[in-house]
Amino acid sequence: MLFNRDVLKIDPAEQLEILSGFIVEQLNAVFRRKGVVVGLSGGVDSACMAAIAVHAIGREKVSGLVLPEIESNPVSSEYAAKHAESLGIEYRTVDITSTVDSVLSYAWRDQFIQKLIPEYRPGYKYNITLPTDLLERDSFSFYCLQVQMPDGELLKKRLSPDEFRSVTAFANIKIRSRMVHLYAEAERRNLLVAGTTNRTEFLLGDFCKYGDGGTDIEPITHLYKNQIYQLADYLEVIPEIIDRKPSPDTFSLPVSDQEFFFRIPFDKLDHLLYAWEHDVPARDAAEVLGITEDAVKRAFRDFTTKHRATAHLRDGIHEVKKP
Amino acid sequence: MSEMREQVRAYIVDNFLFGDDNGLEDSTSFLESGMIDSTGILEVISYLEEQFAIKVHDDELIPENLDSVGNIVGFLGTKMAAA
Repeated sequence: MLFNRDVLKIDPAEQLEILSGFIVEQLNAVFRRKGVVVGLSGGVDSACMAAIAVHAIGREKVSGLVLPEIESNPVSSEYAAKHAESLGIEYRTVDITSTVDSVLSYAWRDQFIQKLIPEYRPGYKYNITLPTDLLERDSFSFYCLQVQMPDGELLKKRLSPDEFRSVTAFANIKIRSRMVHLYAEAERRNLLVAGTTNRTEFLLGDFCKYGDGGTDIEPITHLYKNQIYQLADYLEVIPEIIDRKPSPDTFSLPVSDQEFFFRIPFDKLDHLLYAWEHDVPARDAAEVLGITEDAVKRAFRDFTTKHRATAHLRDGIHEVKKP
Repeated sequence: MSEMREQVRAYIVDNFLFGDDNGLEDSTSFLESGMIDSTGILEVISYLEEQFAIKVHDDELIPENLDSVGNIVGFLGTKMAAA
């Protein structure tokens, strides 16, 4: 297919039928369960997933779990609940703060951050970010810890690999706690856990093993984020969810997906990723997207590095091969 | 310079290539060859800062400075000359 700006356009109605067929088959013929449970984050992927499931099997067979913790953005739960109500599905909210705290405490995390930035105090907001200007200049992916002081000033510190791993390990407990709650619900009620990882996240490894990657089925891994938005419009996902900036919502200080992982604005990311995945020459992609060939090559190199480093997330179980 | 090169090379071989230099040349790109990923590059930076008593600034974290043994040696030379 010739690479152009329309290359990601989908027929939402056709996609919906494909997705519905997949869910029905998995539910009835593979897993033999009574319905589907979806973790509703207040983001567009899970909102679409719930709406797709409703289309596939009916609202009475779809259950939503809203799983905030103490540092979640409050509007996430609000939007998730509003969307569930608009779909007419049964849902409930479970605060996972105590689950997270039982694995590694927030107090431990506070002490750890205070070691890195001594001005930090419990209750201050923080996040971690990458440089977001990959299309403008070359640089490696290095994370900075940012702490917001009460007067709004941001204090920053570049993280060493060990420091980054510790901050990430705590953040991932939040994501994995949600998986635990989803499976408790699913097993108790004989439901399937439906994942919400899209193709952009799947290819680049922006999901957590045994966290949001811990699911029974992953129906939307063939759809780029751009295409999820097309589906969201078609499925009439509430505008509050469609209009908000995608975010992992894992840190107390808001951070966008671009700052946290992708490093490239969403209006170019998916086209670049498509071009990389389909071996479109960098020169052709640059011409279509109105950016330099060097910028495209930097994006491609970043994709290759991320894809390679996260291959283990997409693999099955690693086991000894039979002789 | 050649002693520095050997030190850097030995660190890369020991820590990322499991002791087998596997055709590592001074110009081999760590990222493009897949020898070292982006987190691994940060390990390399920590090593350089500690071993050579330098401070690598954020705007210096670019492939031109750090994506091969040759680039690192050149970068170290510049840093140490400026110190």
